[in-house]
Amino acid sequence: MLKKDLLELCLLQLLAGEDQYGYELLRRLHSGFPDTQESAIYALLRGLCKAGCTQDYQGETSSGPARKYYRLTQAGSDRRAALLSQWRALKQTLEELGVE
Amino acid sequence: MARKTPMTQEAYLKKFSWAARWRLPPQESEEAIADYRELLFQPGRDKNKLVAELGEPVQAAHLLTDVKTYRRWLAVFAILTYGLFLLGKWAWMGMTPLHINGLGPWWYPVWTMVAGLALSLYWFRRHGWKSGPLPKRLLLALAAVFLFGIVTLAWTYYLFDPEMMARLAEAAAGNPTPWQIIAQRELLIEGGIACALAALVGLALAKCYDRRWLALYILCVTVAAMLGFVEFHMISMDISSRGCPEIQRYLFARLLPMGAVGLMGTGVSLC
Repeated sequence: MLKKDLLELCLLQLLAGEDQYGYELLRRLHSGFPDTQESAIYALLRGLCKAGCTQDYQGETSSGPARKYYRLTQAGSDRRAALLSQWRALKQTLEELGVE
Repeated sequence: MARKTPMTQEAYLKKFSWAARWRLPPQESEEAIADYRELLFQPGRDKNKLVAELGEPVQAAHLLTDVKTYRRWLAVFAILTYGLFLLGKWAWMGMTPLHINGLGPWWYPVWTMVAGLALSLYWFRRHGWKSGPLPKRLLLALAAVFLFGIVTLAWTYYLFDPEMMARLAEAAAGNPTPWQIIAQRELLIEGGIACALAALVGLALAKCYDRRWLALYILCVTVAAMLGFVEFHMISMDISSRGCPEIQRYLFARLLPMGAVGLMGTGVSLC
């Protein structure tokens, strides 16, 4: 499992809770992975959109212009489940090897 | 030591826009630019950490690039640019090491023009993007190139008039080259090179700004090819002899259809 997959998993996990504003998503992931630039996270988000795992739409705001929000699709949920099982398997392997 | 000033949001967006439009298909690039505009101008964004947080603009565009599509565009661009390089080189040197049996080198610029027109129109009609009304700068550039082409061809017509040629042949016998010939040579050389360079600018703007800039590429390639056609003929002529009285008719019977094709291509690219 690569770091890219981990970031994808985090993006999908955040979207599984509720629809998210693009900028918020990027900020939250960037604060969790400070060595990964927002442009790289944005590229992953676009990749997920192109693959049909997420959908974007213009959301209303109380003040200011409309903002772009992202929501999870069924394909995104499936992808999240697959990545999650990969992550659990990796975690278990690391634990068995004594890596903490 | 001078401190490097941080990039402003506007400068970042400008650089990113150029890089994205160059690398991505039009719709994707416009979406990405809109998203980056939103990201860059967020109230919480620290202007001094733009590059640290978002990465270099070109790198950011690179991350969004679909390598296969981008390589296809680069291949098209390389072919079109090579055609322009040849037109510029032929204008500069007036000769080519390439010889195909039975075909005069004056046809090489014509082939280059036809190939450039066909490939560029096919690519940009399929993958290009129009934005807003016709740019005024494009109209001005087209008018300037058109005017230059007309003036050069009118001068060529005047020079290749049989009576004029006879007078020039007499004047050239044992004397330095007449000024009319020198003027023609300069028009062909410098005009050909300038047209090839302007065509390259048109090509870049057609990809990054609005596909209708292809009209500049097509018109410049047409003029450069016509000048190359004339230049190759002039190189192979002996000005000290009276030459062929039919040369004027021969040249313009070929130049006019070339010009018509180029103008049609220009019109199509503007639609």
